[in-house]
Amino acid sequence: MYSAQITRANPTCVILLIDQSGSMSDPFSGDSSRKKSEFVAEAVNHTLHDLVIRCTKTEEVRNYYHVAVIGYGRHVGSCFSGPLAARNLVPIAEVADYPLQVKSSYKRVSDGAGGWVEIPVRYPVWIHPAADGKTPMCEALARVKEIIQRWLTDHPRGFPPTILHLTDGESSDGDPEEFGRQIMSLGTDDGATLLFNCHISSRRSAKIEYPNDETSLPDGFARSLFQISSRLPSNFLAAAAQLGVHAVEGSRGFVFNGDPSSIVQFYEIGTSLTGMTPYRWMDDTRTESA
Amino acid sequence: MSSAKQSVVWDLQTRQLLLPKIGHDIFECEDVIALDTQTCRFAVADGATEAFDARNWAARLAQHWVEREATLKSEEFRKWVEIEGQELHDSWNSLSLSWYSEEKARNGSFAAFVGMELNLETDLPLWQAIALGDACLLHCRRGALLKSLPLSHSENFNTGPVLLASDSSLHESIMQAVVTDSGICENGDVLLLMSDAIAAWYLQRLEQNDLDPDEVVRTKCDDELSQFFDAERLAGRIRNDDVAILRIEITERRIN
Repeated sequence: MYSAQITRANPTCVILLIDQSGSMSDPFSGDSSRKKSEFVAEAVNHTLHDLVIRCTKTEEVRNYYHVAVIGYGRHVGSCFSGPLAARNLVPIAEVADYPLQVKSSYKRVSDGAGGWVEIPVRYPVWIHPAADGKTPMCEALARVKEIIQRWLTDHPRGFPPTILHLTDGESSDGDPEEFGRQIMSLGTDDGATLLFNCHISSRRSAKIEYPNDETSLPDGFARSLFQISSRLPSNFLAAAAQLGVHAVEGSRGFVFNGDPSSIVQFYEIGTSLTGMTPYRWMDDTRTESA
Repeated sequence: MSSAKQSVVWDLQTRQLLLPKIGHDIFECEDVIALDTQTCRFAVADGATEAFDARNWAARLAQHWVEREATLKSEEFRKWVEIEGQELHDSWNSLSLSWYSEEKARNGSFAAFVGMELNLETDLPLWQAIALGDACLLHCRRGALLKSLPLSHSENFNTGPVLLASDSSLHESIMQAVVTDSGICENGDVLLLMSDAIAAWYLQRLEQNDLDPDEVVRTKCDDELSQFFDAERLAGRIRNDDVAILRIEITERRIN
């Protein structure tokens, strides 16, 4: 299970589900200058960039992935705009061709002699930060389920869909557990759909990353998210180990009270899929000009 | 090709096969075979699938190493690769690249490589080889493995290999992994240059003694061999990767 080769004939789908409720405009604890929504938008853009680069063959982007970015807050729906507006699952080659803008940046890389040099990089932007309204998590999960059901009709074989869900608070439209379970009951001949959840917090609370049981979880909301978080398959465990993240056999794809570094690792691990190399960007990229 | 030495002539019989990954076209194959039976130089290069312009990098390495009679010495090899890499990067300058191709090109290209030269002027044929990565040379005698380089066991193929980078700024550490070796051949010996997936399969068959891989390669016609390897790939015994095999059999012919 979770070993199918991802090819153009057998692509997989990745859904980034992001909380865009009003509370996402709050800063992270200890960093009053940075809104959560801004950091999340940056992380999503970097993740899309990484997926595009992985699929780039010289001058062609191969459609190994179909990608959706679904937001929920005042509205529930695709976060893409411009030529991709209102599209749910978009082949990665189209994602590559239609960023809203491409910024110039610099990336710090090792100079091979113990120091660092800065090299120019291109930094495409697909989504902008958003934070408004309540937290209709159940409606959002129901939307994701619809998208996956349609995908699975055409793609019953191959690596199953992966949903990376990021939220900063409790659902405002009911208990999400049943909706999550319904998503996890869908799948391909290679395994059940993978649903990973990352809860981020503005409070100074101890973070809990990739637990394998509920004993350390503080409340019912955390336990509910734990229940609808898939176990990390071995390839994802390997990616976690490569990043120095503690995860063991049976660990769930679940973070509670996460901080900015948790978000970065969550996306890196969650998009590692079949053993692909996680992409590192935090703290080594700075934007030069818009 | 034959070369007279007193009353003995050494004949070379070559066989080559290139197969793309299942689901891919042959023009997408990033393995390259190059050979020149006049100069007795042979090479296989395997462009890294995730790298920019990998097929061209592999082709450049294999073909130029054979055609330009490039070095077998590791200290000269670095300089040669640096020049080839610079020529490759120069060829990209005229391209108008999208943001993602530009990003990809910035990291350069990567390939595994093995090159071998045979000297038939000695009493017994002498091979000399240079390799980096997981493209391999196997020297077999009567079905048994005498030597395999740079990797010698099927289990060694599971880790990310060090590959030849087109970007010379990466060469300092990479070139320390270059392997050179040599060996003496006898009548009937077989030398095989192979890319990683098929080399791993070949070595595993020899280790497990469950099938004579040389009989498969020697006796089946191209179509049969392609079908056989596709079946092995579908059964999971060969990783779904490009396949390059160059088989060279050395036979002695006595002249009265």
